[in-house]
Amino acid sequence: MTLLRHALGRSLQLVPVLIGITLIAFFLLRVMPGDPATLILGSRGTPDEIAALTKRLGLDQPLWRQYLTFLFDLLRGRFGQSIVYRTELGPLILERTSATLQLVGLSTAIAIVVTLPFALLAALRKDRFLDQAIKVVFVVVMSMPAFWLGILMVMVFSVHLGLTPVSGFGEGLVERLRHLLLPSLVIALGTSALTIRTLRSSLIAVLGADHVDTARAKGLRGSTVLARHVLRNSLISTISVLGVHTSWVIGGTVVIESVFGIPGLGSLLVSSISARDYPMVQGLTVTFAVLVVLVNFVTDVAYAIADPRVKL
Amino acid sequence: MSPNLYPHLRTAIAVVRRSALATTAVAAILCGLDGAAAADLRVAIAQDATTLDPIQSSDNPSIWTELLIFDQLVRPSPDGTKLTPGLAESWSVSKDGLEYRFTLRDGAKFADGSPVGAEDVVFSLKRAAGEGSDWARFFKPITRYDVVDAKTVVMHLDKPFTPILNNLALFSASIVPKAQVEAKGAEFFKAPFGSGPFSVVSWTRGEKIQLKKNPGYWQAGKPAVDGAVISIIADDNSRVLKLKAGEVDAIVGVPFNQVATLKRDPALNVGVAETFRSDLVQLNTTKKPLDDERVRKALNFAVDKDALIRGVLHGNGKPAAASLPIMVYHDPALAPYPHDPAKAKALLAEAKAENLKLSLLVAGGDVTARQVATAVQSDLKKVGVDLTIQSIEGSSLFATTKAGNYETALSATTSDTIDPDQLIGFTAVNPERANAYHTQWKSERLNELYVAERQTLDGPEREKQFREMSKIVHDGAPFIFLFHPGTAYASRKQVEGFKVLATSNYRLEDVVIRP
Repeated sequence: MTLLRHALGRSLQLVPVLIGITLIAFFLLRVMPGDPATLILGSRGTPDEIAALTKRLGLDQPLWRQYLTFLFDLLRGRFGQSIVYRTELGPLILERTSATLQLVGLSTAIAIVVTLPFALLAALRKDRFLDQAIKVVFVVVMSMPAFWLGILMVMVFSVHLGLTPVSGFGEGLVERLRHLLLPSLVIALGTSALTIRTLRSSLIAVLGADHVDTARAKGLRGSTVLARHVLRNSLISTISVLGVHTSWVIGGTVVIESVFGIPGLGSLLVSSISARDYPMVQGLTVTFAVLVVLVNFVTDVAYAIADPRVKL
Repeated sequence: MSPNLYPHLRTAIAVVRRSALATTAVAAILCGLDGAAAADLRVAIAQDATTLDPIQSSDNPSIWTELLIFDQLVRPSPDGTKLTPGLAESWSVSKDGLEYRFTLRDGAKFADGSPVGAEDVVFSLKRAAGEGSDWARFFKPITRYDVVDAKTVVMHLDKPFTPILNNLALFSASIVPKAQVEAKGAEFFKAPFGSGPFSVVSWTRGEKIQLKKNPGYWQAGKPAVDGAVISIIADDNSRVLKLKAGEVDAIVGVPFNQVATLKRDPALNVGVAETFRSDLVQLNTTKKPLDDERVRKALNFAVDKDALIRGVLHGNGKPAAASLPIMVYHDPALAPYPHDPAKAKALLAEAKAENLKLSLLVAGGDVTARQVATAVQSDLKKVGVDLTIQSIEGSSLFATTKAGNYETALSATTSDTIDPDQLIGFTAVNPERANAYHTQWKSERLNELYVAERQTLDGPEREKQFREMSKIVHDGAPFIFLFHPGTAYASRKQVEGFKVLATSNYRLEDVVIRP
């Protein structure tokens, strides 16, 4: 019940966010020079033809009216037509959202799996060789541009070892996982470089706390102390970092999408901005807002699970 | 890593590699049982199509795909120098240039098996000239159609318009099945078919377009492949790696710096197509001292085009003498401005334009453009011109030069047709469509020639007109003429006949995969 109420609260938050973000996206894009009709007709159109196409696209209306039309359509659950693709936005965005969510989901999972052992090792071997080694390796990974790391991995794992496909999206569960493995790993390595540092510091802080000594003193096994008393208490800040980072990853994987040929939201947004596909950019902005609120909600739930003192 | 660990790692890799091979073998056997997928030609390109409705397309990927699906009455020869029969087996033009008669090919069928008739032709062309078409102007000169019989169409013009025949070879003049389009409307173009070699099975946007062959295609024995998959890989390096790994059979768009390396790979064939494109620096002739022809010529003398082609294009291009690409009616005798800094300096001195400061607009994010700009900058510095490079978001470039808010801008033009009329109109005629492509430069003589050219039947007379126009543009120098870059492509050795044509598209019906 509380979960439901919390979800409701988060959705209500969406309203002002949506109005703000669509207003910005709507007007900023129109301030930029270059309009869709000119971009479409380019070298071929006479001024008359460009004016006619502008009218056909409904872009000759005053701006405030265009914005209101967009809002009312949105309320009725309609996104309108893409200028570039000349078809309904809804299905186009939905397809891409699904691809992006699969990528984000898998990479977050990998990031968690990578973070836990390395952060624990680093914390337990604080300032010793292993700690330093982990630090150096992940700093190097984080400093590598994603496209370069991606290409490097493709050369090793796909071209030389033939383990994974070079790029593409794949069909069926197994093929899909095989295709998504490398791109997810590249994203996940970037993420874990952050989360390992965060988790390591909280672990070190908690390891020195009195209650850990108490737990040890009453004879609990080392692993039990770590899992129950140390790790759980250290997770909160890492969950925050992971949440914020995941929100960023949702729209920020353009480079990965382009290297690995994944039809995600990021590349669609970039190409739509270039083409001045106003309705598409608006639709995507709304989608991003919803997804980010969703990630925040999941983060909240994760807080509550990790720390019983946090109430939703 | 300790040294003694290394052999273990190698063993591990070998094991992994072996098991991967085994997996691949099993997969191959499974695929072999499945059979069908084996004879698909797999092509990777950089961008997805946006729409497959020919009258609403303006981007290359859409156009290339439409040319695989639909036929046009006539079509360019592979080298783009003349028109050859397409859906029309033959055609004739009346002496006064007002009547075009087309005879359709016997046995041409849409992919659903229905025959292509004269009604389909008239419907398609009227649609292309109608409301909702981005290309109406190209077909409006046709004022009336007569359907003589199921295989014969006569088109009437009010006044002669020579480029019309070339316009009928455009993708936007594709012949679509009338009954289908009337019944389904826009829905039809989500997975369209025509009388071309292939039809669409499915289109996963941003990922791939799956095509299958049209069994009733009029060219006997073609296509040789059962189908084709066009997959979208935006990253240049990934596309190359995908080809090397054998995940695709052919790719379009090889980065110039990799062409030489790939040519040495015995498993691959690499080609560079001479496509219709000119790279130019627009000079805004309303800004002083760019209104002075001597200054504009000086800038042309100052830039070392051959060095640009060597350095930036890695040799894959030709220097430009005028705005027209190397195509029909291009004048091979018209030489590019030689690299002559001394002459450039003298001309600048004569025009009292020493210590000139100029800004150059460049599309941001375009790496090649950036390299060209830097090279031009250093060339101009040597003759005392201080060029500031100004990055601008790519899609804003056209609107900015159109509004006249620039001094010089780096840009490129490409031709949709094999007839020079379109690009001459765009880059040399003022006002026409683009005020001599936003430089505001104007030549009355050239404007007259343009009107005349459009009413002169193809032949030596029309060639003379185009050559004179090119000469006028060369002498007037509203641009710094840079180069005509090639388009690099590659395919695996087993693939025969894959190539990019002068019109930038590829004819997959001509491709054969050897076992």
